[in-house]
Amino acid sequence: MDLLAQVLINGVLLGGLYAVMALGLALVWGVLNIVNLAHGAFIMLGAYLAWHLYTYLGIDPFLGLPLTAIVMFCVGYALQRGLLNLIVRAPMFNTLLITFGLEVVLTYLAQLAFSADFRTINPPYAGNSIALGPLVVPLARLMAFGVAAALTVGMWLFLLRTTLGRAIRATAQNLVAARLYGVAPRHLYAVTFGIGIGLAGAAGSLYGTVSQINPYIGATLTAKCFAIAIIGGLDNPLGVLVGGLVLGIIESLTVLYIGATYDDVASFGVLVLVLIVRPTGLLGKTA
Amino acid sequence: MSAILKVSHVTRRFAGLVAVNDVSFTLGKGEILGVIGPNGAGKTTLVSLISGTLSPSEGDIFFEGSSIARLPAFRRARLGIGRTFQIMRPFPGLSVLDNVAVGALFGHGAGESELAKAREKALAQLDFVGLGKFAAQRAEELGGPNRKRLELAKALAMQPKVLLCDEVMAGLNLVEIDEVIEVLRKIRKSGISILVIEHVIKAIKSLSDRLVVLHHGDKIADGPTDAVLSNSEVIEAYLGRRRS
Amino acid sequence: MSAFRIGLAIVAVAALAALPLYGSDVVIQFGINTLLLAVLAQGWNIIGGYAGYASFGNSAFYGLGSYGVGIAMVQWGLPFPVGMIFGVVLAVVFAFCLGIPVLRLRGHYFAIATLALAQVMSAIVSNVSLAGQNIGLVLPPLNNDRLFYELSLGLLVIATLTIFWLTRSRFGFGLIAIRENEEGAAVMGVNTTLYKVLAFALSGVFTALAGGIHAYWITFLDPESAFDISLNVKMIIMAVFGGPGTVFGPVVGAFALSAVSEVLSSEATNVAGLFFGVVVVAAVVLMPRGIADVIRRFRTSGWHYFIENLRAHRI
Repeated sequence: MDLLAQVLINGVLLGGLYAVMALGLALVWGVLNIVNLAHGAFIMLGAYLAWHLYTYLGIDPFLGLPLTAIVMFCVGYALQRGLLNLIVRAPMFNTLLITFGLEVVLTYLAQLAFSADFRTINPPYAGNSIALGPLVVPLARLMAFGVAAALTVGMWLFLLRTTLGRAIRATAQNLVAARLYGVAPRHLYAVTFGIGIGLAGAAGSLYGTVSQINPYIGATLTAKCFAIAIIGGLDNPLGVLVGGLVLGIIESLTVLYIGATYDDVASFGVLVLVLIVRPTGLLGKTA
Repeated sequence: MSAILKVSHVTRRFAGLVAVNDVSFTLGKGEILGVIGPNGAGKTTLVSLISGTLSPSEGDIFFEGSSIARLPAFRRARLGIGRTFQIMRPFPGLSVLDNVAVGALFGHGAGESELAKAREKALAQLDFVGLGKFAAQRAEELGGPNRKRLELAKALAMQPKVLLCDEVMAGLNLVEIDEVIEVLRKIRKSGISILVIEHVIKAIKSLSDRLVVLHHGDKIADGPTDAVLSNSEVIEAYLGRRRS
Repeated sequence: MSAFRIGLAIVAVAALAALPLYGSDVVIQFGINTLLLAVLAQGWNIIGGYAGYASFGNSAFYGLGSYGVGIAMVQWGLPFPVGMIFGVVLAVVFAFCLGIPVLRLRGHYFAIATLALAQVMSAIVSNVSLAGQNIGLVLPPLNNDRLFYELSLGLLVIATLTIFWLTRSRFGFGLIAIRENEEGAAVMGVNTTLYKVLAFALSGVFTALAGGIHAYWITFLDPESAFDISLNVKMIIMAVFGGPGTVFGPVVGAFALSAVSEVLSSEATNVAGLFFGVVVVAAVVLMPRGIADVIRRFRTSGWHYFIENLRAHRI
């Protein structure tokens, strides 16, 4: 029973991290209809950025999170404004291909710049944990979960309550009408994508504190984020939180009851099932 | 006149909305039946229910005596039910001829298996509706009125027994409307029973033997054309209540 | 298909078939890789180009074909052709069982579902002991590159002939109708579910055969290389840039992109990979409709073609 509880806690904490990883992807996809196959690569870049900030400037990854996020936001803004805006009205398929190309480029650049060694971000408190009776809650993971939850709720509030958030949603739903209302779509698209990448960067910071990073983690992370975003549904940022938690818990349970090597089977299996049964996701609108 | 198509107490709901509510009527063999009603009355939904794109929430549909409500769309097509679409969607990448050839390949009786023969049949249908000279053009290049004829040709190539026409005259001028009426009369003469959804009352009046009127999903009238058109309930549905 | 084009094709095939006689070993190896990639692109062409369902999971078929040969030869001591058939059987079963639910999805949902399926297959296989789990299998070596080359070429010819048959057959027309307007196709009598699954299975057959040949040629097999995700996008890019829904497009795309990749590979492996990504990005922006379209329109539009593409697609 204790073991189950521990596994569930691990699952929830993992789920929180998963949620923030997928948040940027879901935002860009749900709102801009851009399916970003390079999303995982941006998480990887965010992680490396945080690692460098920590290793060379001594900035704690959690405190430095806003900085990482802002830098990545700028990267995302520039990328959208300079490149992706060129294909926004092309068939969706093209965004899949172009972001794949980006993923290849980013991975190779990372490999050239950072070498293929594994790294982690190891602030001194990283090994600590909080004891809840017989259960162990790793501190770093708990903090990552906290940040994740905050970011997710913040995103939801942003989209629903702020003017900019509403403008983004409006542009997504009807580009022509939005233009007539004075929205500058190129700028807005770039801002949205920037936010998405900023979130990826933040997720990368968090990821780096709980797991190893190397230039090649991008592809697997992207696949995971897809699963999370779809399971949760693209209409609602809270759905990503649900998706992340569902996936985190399922993976932890699978590792416990079936075997450590089956976690991928479980996550992608669930994704396939969700797609077949309810493509709009667990929180998505019914058809 | 025997009924070739019988719609029996058909209801269709979409989440909270009842689009078609307990509608029953028959289409006789060799008949032209008009279906009219204000916008949103459920006419296109009705056609989708008969052609198989949608299935009824309740009720049944009989074609030549057998129930078809549970059959998928392609089976109904092969049995002999053809339809045109209100929003015309030709196969854009294909030529006009090949668009129609699809109907000849797959239609009623599972169609032709040879491409060449199918194309011959397709050409015959194109001539029938007056589009023969456009055969080699890409379908997306056709203008509005010609697209409507293409829709008809595609459906005809299936050699249907029943043709469901969804607002085939929308957007046409008076001359073009008369031309389409002529084509539809030719089609009926060749033995096909037609169900016509239309807004253009003048056209419906000269074309249909009987009329069915839908309003907010309910059938409010069913009978010979002239009688229905003078029915006060029908007039009210279109124009609103008369103030005395 | 004019007599000129047919003649050209025959000459090309003959020239390719004769390559091993005057080419060096390196060239033959490059040839095998390219030919197999072209087969993959043609296989994808059937489901993605003709039926209009862009599968991002054909690597599942590739892996099944590879492991079919691997398991048959290593675990059961069966000859290579039997292994190939086994791989094909696996692919067809997969296509039917999983195709039916997944083909009900449209657009990018279908793409992601197939991607997820490929991942699931890879993950499952890495847990199956018959397949050697994570370590994989080592096949009996056969040092005959020329044979593999001719086999690959033969497979490509068969695949291309199949596509050619598609363009003239009722089945092919049905697929095109499904691609252009699926609902319209259904009300005209096309059994869309059956046809989609058949297209998926046919696509899987060729992909599996390519996987089988590759496995025997490399003599080594593990889940990561057999179910290589990057293959998915490679085959799509080659088919899309060569011209999806055409008979020769994917072949041209495969040859062109392989050549570019290989030429730069001689500089430094890292840079080659990098350049591949850059080429993809540039191509998507400048020629989203593929090489076939460029050739067709260049005559009328000249360099304006690229600017027109940009203007049409940007915001």
